[in-house]
Amino acid sequence: MSEEVDLGLGLLDHQLVDCEGRRCGNVDDLELERVSDGPPRVTAILVGPPVWRGRGQLGRLASALATGETVRVPWEEVDKIDAAVHLKKTARELRLGRGDDRARRFVDWIPGS
Amino acid sequence: MKKVLQVALGILAAIGGFVDIGDLVFNMEAGAKFQYQLLWVVVVGVVGIIVYSEMCGRVAAVSKRPVFDAIRERLGFGVGLGALVSSQLVNLMTLAAEVGGMALALQLLSGLPYRLLILVGIVALAIVIWVAPFEWIERIFGYAGLALLVFAVGAIKLHPNWGHVAHGFVPHMNTPEPLIYAYFAVGLLGAAMTPYEVYFYSSGVVEEGWTPKDLGLNRANSMIGYGLGGFLSFALMITAGTLFFPQGIEPQLIGTVALGAQLPLGTIGLVLALIGILFAVGGAAIDTCFSGAYNLAQYFGWEWGKHRRPRDAPRFTIAWAVLLVLALLAIMTGIDPVMLTEYAVIFSVVALPLTYIPILLVANDTAYMGRYVNGRLANAFGLLYLVIILVVAVSAIPLMIVTHQGQG
Repeated sequence: MSEEVDLGLGLLDHQLVDCEGRRCGNVDDLELERVSDGPPRVTAILVGPPVWRGRGQLGRLASALATGETVRVPWEEVDKIDAAVHLKKTARELRLGRGDDRARRFVDWIPGS
Repeated sequence: MKKVLQVALGILAAIGGFVDIGDLVFNMEAGAKFQYQLLWVVVVGVVGIIVYSEMCGRVAAVSKRPVFDAIRERLGFGVGLGALVSSQLVNLMTLAAEVGGMALALQLLSGLPYRLLILVGIVALAIVIWVAPFEWIERIFGYAGLALLVFAVGAIKLHPNWGHVAHGFVPHMNTPEPLIYAYFAVGLLGAAMTPYEVYFYSSGVVEEGWTPKDLGLNRANSMIGYGLGGFLSFALMITAGTLFFPQGIEPQLIGTVALGAQLPLGTIGLVLALIGILFAVGGAAIDTCFSGAYNLAQYFGWEWGKHRRPRDAPRFTIAWAVLLVLALLAIMTGIDPVMLTEYAVIFSVVALPLTYIPILLVANDTAYMGRYVNGRLANAFGLLYLVIILVVAVSAIPLMIVTHQGQG
């Protein structure tokens, strides 16, 4: 992954899709290294309510109200970027989409689910 | 040939699905109050929804991203969250109003108690959503909603002065109450351009897996489907203008709306009108309910879609179920659906810019759209409507307050 992408418009807040085509969260924040010396580099995508704290006043409020933990997706796991960010592994392997996994038991007792 | 038929069927469903309780209420009231004078505003509103639904559909077909993805990406987490909360509130109000409208139509058809019919309506919606495939939901409600064409037949049989009707398509204002005129103009624009229509439409485009090959279909759906849907709005306003305006009757009840078809066409007119209202409003209830679930899921990145099995998109499924229950509780309080509709439409106008600005930005982004970015025509109309939307959004609530919801 060395091609050019606009971090603010082309990456932040975009949809994450796993290798099986499952939607598994949004890019809530980015982890950068070498911000002070040399060209900064993205090292990971951060997902989860605690990360929202850094996303403005409303983000701080939402972060305080929501539960959940931060999931760090190393940049090496990114397969390609179009309007969505496609990942190389399954959501389960990357510990993403666990809210849906937890919610499943409320739904799958209903016939036809 | 099969393709042509498919396109035609889709467009028919779009026509039947255009009118919802907001259009019923505002077109009828505007006709009763100002006769044909506000017909031109309906034209402005219909062109607006054509411009933006085409844009949203194109963005969704090319990038596979529906409207609320674009909203969060362009407005950021904080402002995006504001857009989410306000659109969810408006969605819920609209959903509750549509359910109330369904119950009122059912009551006039069956004579059973109103609150029982609210429950019947909600249960019926839940079963249809759970059991029927996406395309069928659209079709069933869209086709049955075409029964509203009875108002077009009725309007012709009422023999309005067609010269006066034609004059209504030329913008003019001839009234001692300009503020009330402005309030209804804002309401008609809001009813025609309700944001849930584009949330639902763009998510549907992604659900049905459209690609750039389907852009012709997208254009046809927007232009013909919404364009002809606008004819139903004309029919409603002309009916009210011919029937109620001379008598000074203000149709504050769904029953009065149906009367607009009964007087020229008799009992069959009444029954068709009520069936049309029932399905048009029921279809809109499903659209708003899904829109709410789509928006939440897209904003937070959850798996979503009617094409997924419920167990594969559990939070999305829970979201629409919870919205139905909340709407049930809200409308069971006995709040008047017509009044709730007016509030929902006026508040939705305030949320319009937060929906349409990000779409205009994304539709111009080559990284997103490749060679399918907005052309000059789409941008000219897009910008023109953005100005209209901003003016309308700023003036909506003040107008509602000073006119006491158009009562003067």
